[in-house]
Amino acid sequence: MMAEKIIPAVQINNLTKIFPVPFRKEKVIAVEGLSLRVEAGEVYGLIGPNGSGKSTTMKVLLGLISATSGSSAIFGLSSSETASRGSVGFLPENPYFYKYLTGAETLSFYGKLCGLSRRKIKERTSELLSLVDLENARDRRLGGYSKGMLQRIGLAQALVGDPRLVVLDEPTAGVDPAGSRKIRDLIIELKQRGISVILSSHLLEQVQEVCDRVGIIFQGKLIKEGKLEELIEIESQTEIILEHADPKILDQINKLVQASEETRLLRSGKPKTTLERLFLKETRAESEDVRKDA
Amino acid sequence: MSADKVKSVKEDLVLQHKLFSLSRVWAIAFNTFTQLVRMKVFYFMLIFSVLIIGANFLFLNFTFEQELKILKDVSFGAMTLFASIFSIVGTALLIPKDIEDRTLYTILTKPVPRFEYLVGKLIGIIFLVAVSLVLMSFLFFAVLYFRQHGILAEEIKMIRGGATDAQKEYLKETIFAQGVRPELILGVLAIFLKAAVAAGVALVVSTFASSTLFTIIVSLVVYFIGHAQSLALEYYFPEGQMHGALQRFIAGIVAVVFPNLQMFNIFDGIITGQSISTTLMFRLIGLTGFYLTIYSMISWILFAKKEL
Repeated sequence: MMAEKIIPAVQINNLTKIFPVPFRKEKVIAVEGLSLRVEAGEVYGLIGPNGSGKSTTMKVLLGLISATSGSSAIFGLSSSETASRGSVGFLPENPYFYKYLTGAETLSFYGKLCGLSRRKIKERTSELLSLVDLENARDRRLGGYSKGMLQRIGLAQALVGDPRLVVLDEPTAGVDPAGSRKIRDLIIELKQRGISVILSSHLLEQVQEVCDRVGIIFQGKLIKEGKLEELIEIESQTEIILEHADPKILDQINKLVQASEETRLLRSGKPKTTLERLFLKETRAESEDVRKDA
Repeated sequence: MSADKVKSVKEDLVLQHKLFSLSRVWAIAFNTFTQLVRMKVFYFMLIFSVLIIGANFLFLNFTFEQELKILKDVSFGAMTLFASIFSIVGTALLIPKDIEDRTLYTILTKPVPRFEYLVGKLIGIIFLVAVSLVLMSFLFFAVLYFRQHGILAEEIKMIRGGATDAQKEYLKETIFAQGVRPELILGVLAIFLKAAVAAGVALVVSTFASSTLFTIIVSLVVYFIGHAQSLALEYYFPEGQMHGALQRFIAGIVAVVFPNLQMFNIFDGIITGQSISTTLMFRLIGLTGFYLTIYSMISWILFAKKEL
């Protein structure tokens, strides 16, 4: 018996998208010959500079625009079929929602579009508002939401239909570090629940933290793709991080390195935290102090 | 996720997807209605109230027939104006705005066929027009009712030595013939049908327009030409003459692009007391159904492959 063929969450084959320029003969090639595959349960990061074709690729995948050539499919169903979006959640870059609706009404509206029952909508609305930390703003109209809150309600609407694939286009654009961290935590949680995620970003550190595999897209072409650890590994170097190291031990290591013919010590010293981690640590400590004082 | 599970995802998606879902259409329609209501469009009721109540006091020296006629004229005119503005501006404002704001992305990336989105928007706007016409009708009929009774009392009082029963009955019959009558409802229905056709025109334009302003201008041009369409067709293709296939084709295209909106203006006759035949009303309902079907199909064809 033949082995059963595994259907990936996303399969894009040789995708090319060309946009005609109105009233001119020239054309803009947004994506050229791009192929990628996202396995079920995998978090895939599509990184590249602005205008490199990330959003166009996502739009073709979600059936918002059609491919000039090539194909794309979600769980084996062509992107041109509406049924392919039955288990997809999408968060566009800088999303705008109906600002006259409240947070709860927004989720209810999208829940109805996903075909959820009234009871299920009620359950999912409470669950998701709690997940994205917007319970206090559930009855406030979106017109009064901050940028970070909009991004979080956007993520909640993407998850309302309990999707098996989540597509996030620049999910942390314009969000403060704490909000950004919250979104990353949510992505990690999705991954733990076996949900496939494809996200685009030009904030590389974020991608590094959450993605299993990464594709680098430049001028419409996928120029590099692979597992994150393999891509960022520097083959010729080795890192040793010691805690509470005795100066004598460090001295011995130095001597051993000097005795070797090929090995060179490139750098030693205290490892640095990131500015973001420092910001989060300090703001968290400050808010705890305020709470204690209160 | 195991291979089996992933395979079943595909099967689930195909099985669970409904090609057409009334509940999705209604969700979009109700959302459109809510959006317009919360944009405070019903503030127009204040303007409408001022107009029809003002019409009572502006023409005090007229005969009661003239006074009631003016009241009906102003009310029907205002209802036509508001209903048409709502249908055109509402459609033009919402669909291009959804595209500009990218709200449409979040809707169409759910399992919502584009046709359902268009139909939902159209129904939402038509529903709003219907509700606003019902509200305006209540106000209009109430003012007319009180005015006809007021006029009757005034006329009876003016008869020296007191009116006899026969005189009272005559006055009542004459005045009430110009007052609230069931035919007025047919006039309101015709205004509603005309506004629905205008919404259909705006829907088609908004699927290829690049902005709200463009949609409003083009729809208004079609709306105004629609009132002169029958005259133009009559001039170029007079009835009783033989026309070739090409001429008939051109006339057909003109009739689809520019709907005959003059046909819906039956309230002039209603104001002067003419009776409206059931056949005419069914014809208007049929014509509206025809135009809305054609316009929904054209919109879908234009919107189905639109690059968003």
